[in-house]
Amino acid sequence: MKRYDAIVVGGGVNGLTTAACLGKSGRKVVLLEKNDTVGGLASTEQFADGYKSNTVIDSVPWINEQVVSELELENHGLRFTSSNSGVTTPAGSGKVLTLSSDSHETVRSIAQFSQSDADKWPAFCNKVAMLTDFLKPLYGMTPLPIPELDLSSFLSMKPMLAPYRKHGRKALVELLRILPMCMLELLDEWFESEPLRGTLAVAGIRHMNQGPMAVGTAFVFLHNHVGTGGSIRPVNFIDGGTEKLVSALESSAKSYGVELLTGSEVKNITVDNGTAVGVTLKNGEEVESHCVVSSLDPKTTFQGLVGNDRLSPQFSRRIKNIKMRGATARVHYTLKELPNFDGLHKELLKGIVSISPSLSYIEKASDASKYGRISKEPWIEFTVSSLREKSFAPAGKHVLSATVQYAPYHLRGTDWQSARDELGSRVTDVMEKYAPGFRSLIEHQEVLTPEDMKSRYGLTEGNLNQGEMMLDQFFFMRPTIDSAQYLTPVGNLYLCGAATHPGGGLHCTNGHNAANEIIKHLQSV
Amino acid sequence: MSVNRKYDAIVVGGGHNGLTTAAYLARGGKKVLVLEKRHVLGGAAVTEEIFPGFKFSVFSYVVSLLKPEIIRELQLPKFGLELVPLESTFTPLEGDYLIRWADHDLTRRELYRHSPNDAEAYDRFGKTMSQIGLSVRPILQTIAPDPTKLGWSGASTLLDLGKHFRSLGQEKFEHLTKMMTMSCADFLDEWFEFEPLTATMSASGIIGTFMGIRSPGSAYVMLHHYLGDIDGVFRAWGFQRGGTGAVSMALARSAEHFGAEIMTETPVSQIVVKNGRAVGVALENGDEFEANVVVSGLDPKQTFLNLMGSSDLPADFVQSVENFRIRGSSGKVNLALDGLPDFTCLPGKGPHLNGAISISPDIDYIEKAYDDAKHGNFSRQPYIDIVLPSVLDPDMAPPGKHVMSCFVQYAPYNIKGGWDDQKREAFGDAVVDALTRFAPNLKDIILHRQVITPLDMENTFGLTEGNIFHGELALQQLFFLRPVVKWADYRTPVQNLYQCGSGTHPGGGITGAPGEMAAKKILKEWR
Repeated sequence: MKRYDAIVVGGGVNGLTTAACLGKSGRKVVLLEKNDTVGGLASTEQFADGYKSNTVIDSVPWINEQVVSELELENHGLRFTSSNSGVTTPAGSGKVLTLSSDSHETVRSIAQFSQSDADKWPAFCNKVAMLTDFLKPLYGMTPLPIPELDLSSFLSMKPMLAPYRKHGRKALVELLRILPMCMLELLDEWFESEPLRGTLAVAGIRHMNQGPMAVGTAFVFLHNHVGTGGSIRPVNFIDGGTEKLVSALESSAKSYGVELLTGSEVKNITVDNGTAVGVTLKNGEEVESHCVVSSLDPKTTFQGLVGNDRLSPQFSRRIKNIKMRGATARVHYTLKELPNFDGLHKELLKGIVSISPSLSYIEKASDASKYGRISKEPWIEFTVSSLREKSFAPAGKHVLSATVQYAPYHLRGTDWQSARDELGSRVTDVMEKYAPGFRSLIEHQEVLTPEDMKSRYGLTEGNLNQGEMMLDQFFFMRPTIDSAQYLTPVGNLYLCGAATHPGGGLHCTNGHNAANEIIKHLQSV
Repeated sequence: MSVNRKYDAIVVGGGHNGLTTAAYLARGGKKVLVLEKRHVLGGAAVTEEIFPGFKFSVFSYVVSLLKPEIIRELQLPKFGLELVPLESTFTPLEGDYLIRWADHDLTRRELYRHSPNDAEAYDRFGKTMSQIGLSVRPILQTIAPDPTKLGWSGASTLLDLGKHFRSLGQEKFEHLTKMMTMSCADFLDEWFEFEPLTATMSASGIIGTFMGIRSPGSAYVMLHHYLGDIDGVFRAWGFQRGGTGAVSMALARSAEHFGAEIMTETPVSQIVVKNGRAVGVALENGDEFEANVVVSGLDPKQTFLNLMGSSDLPADFVQSVENFRIRGSSGKVNLALDGLPDFTCLPGKGPHLNGAISISPDIDYIEKAYDDAKHGNFSRQPYIDIVLPSVLDPDMAPPGKHVMSCFVQYAPYNIKGGWDDQKREAFGDAVVDALTRFAPNLKDIILHRQVITPLDMENTFGLTEGNIFHGELALQQLFFLRPVVKWADYRTPVQNLYQCGSGTHPGGGITGAPGEMAAKKILKEWR
């Protein structure tokens, strides 16, 4: 039987980050991944003969700078593509709205729709920068054990002092005011032009089950701008495909001596006397450790790998009550040639294109999800990735990958087996509307439903954030009030995935925070 | 005629909060004048004989949260306050029904019939809710500090609240956090499985709010309505004998007893500000009254955007008031009936007609009603909360006849194309149709019908956008953020001008709390 200082279950970006950080601290670490490759949601895969795509995530809004520098990810091959085309929204009759990294261009683009909005844009960017200045240190810390605070918890809030000194108390109160808003309320205070409102609202609902009129979506908007320094809706592609983030993490982890075992599915986490002591693999092999870290979501971890009978009724109830409800799907197309979108030239197709003509368009799309239906006119965000990555498609052909909402995991009156084609055709219908002739260019399409997200990546209910990013599942409540400090009520068992503070995305902060906490505990033993 | 009389304090608006403030100020020895634009007092809490012989609580229809201190200190029973408890909540369904009674055992038996799990959970839920209610009570009774500029007293207020939360412990604090942030449907889903029960309970989370029962944040509104519970087991709501207007009349008589002067049909056109100080008010007829202190019982938009010039106020304050969310979402249909409605699922007369009747058969029903509204239409199949005051209080209608009060959601103020007579009647028809589905005889016994849209509420009662709470009960508009940060302690940027309406902490409902707390603040600061 093998023994390690720490076992990390699951090889997504957070699992890899935790493993690498623990390896770097001198611990003997093994990472166990059930699939044949690590990567999880950050995978880039072949989906048709000669065609590759970023399976789930194309653009990464932000990556934790500390992780990048501590794990030397750039030395291990992490680069962003230099072209930055931003987010473009077709607004009808050939007009498009583009939010790019060039703020003057952005202001000009907004001015086509509303001069008042264009005038307010720089102030809006500053406001977002100010608010996220507070979130950044908050994201890098272990959540406080509210309400049982003591002196040490106040001391741990020291990193919050810097933004506090910079912006003052008024700004902090403003953050408190804005966090519980919905995108509608936030945008009502600023902008009038619908394409702009729709496009901004998207940052509040991506990978969510809610629409932009749901309270807390303003928080999600800020979440997606934490490391961006006030750049709104930033588009960052990873050079060579999203998987290059994974290979950089993988190579970094290996350089610190972490053992990565793929094709090694964990059957259960062994708990003895209320404390984790190791894991058992599907093939019967046992691995021992006094520190088990799960990057899987809490339902999979506790209901699946630990077992409800090992949990206190209270904790078991809390795990049961975590809301998942995935509603995001992906559709990948292989195309004979580049489709012709009205007003969208090639450079813009390299970036992100968002079908979000108005805020109410998105809200209507979200209505369907409440009744277990696929949106008739879904919100779609796509990129033609073959324009950036030559290796993704044979010369002259193209790959178009789309993120689609709302496609609720829990369908009523049907299941995903039979609804898969319907989802595909709804998306194609919308694409056809914006690019007449689109349908005739399709050679092959692959639809990834929330059900697929579950079976491929083990995500309960296909939720890409491992738990809804709502205010009741935020900070000291994420994933539950008694496991928000990464250590769970099961002794020596930690969580490090998106289910923990500060939530979903490929920013790697969860894994980094969890590693810090674990290193602290291991040192004190 | 130019009157020029001087008062210690003038209260603008004779709603129940304005009257409460007036009564407290008068009780504190001040010379007080209340100015009301309508011919009746009470604001949204009025009783009027709309059709000969039929008296209606025209808008606010039940009393839940009136603070016991106020009842005692203002001696309201002596002036006519007489609450009759609401005995039940009846939810008609297709072929069945759900009734929750004031009587614990009856409710338990009824719930058990639908779901043994829910019967068990209901008791635990009641206990938890009453604990949460107790744990927020200190916040509701605290004058909100200014978090941007904490003096000693502000800091000690926050410290006290911090200590209070710490003392709750993890589990209660978890429940409280969830209540503050979740949707009613999600929150109740953690407890119950019988949908008509969750739907009916959820409904109290949308009353007066532009949210659906699946909208995060609605659980807080449900909590707000639960605060009226005496033991947490049942909404301890009641009727006022003579309609809710009688509550206002009791407050008015109390105020007069303490020496306040009250003038109706006296609309104020302006709050007069000189050198940054409020010095009195000007009436629409040109008269002016002077006062040391002016208190507005109107909502923040009316007070600061209509009764004052923007030059009297700081620009960022005006901006914040403009951003204050106050979307109206409710309508009211008052019916004069030739008899009692006969429900298919529970025919005939019976105790189920004594309490509230809730048209909330399932979650989707209410959520779809909200979907209509958020896209700019009234609900085709609305959620309706009904009471028949004449069943308990025969004076409300001629012998053998009845009055039926239907509170309806949703009716958005900003309806597509604007409200007009045709839409008002169509809305009324939708309400009658929704009721007829469960009580088919209703259509035949309607003698008169009054339909009130949010626009009517704005025009009649002066409620901006017809919002019954003077501003939505959303997290970003509560406590030290209600109505504007830094000015949540009833003071305003203009010296000697105060607010006392539902737009201030702790918000709407017939509670009297904002009025009482404002008066106490004013008396404390009096120089």
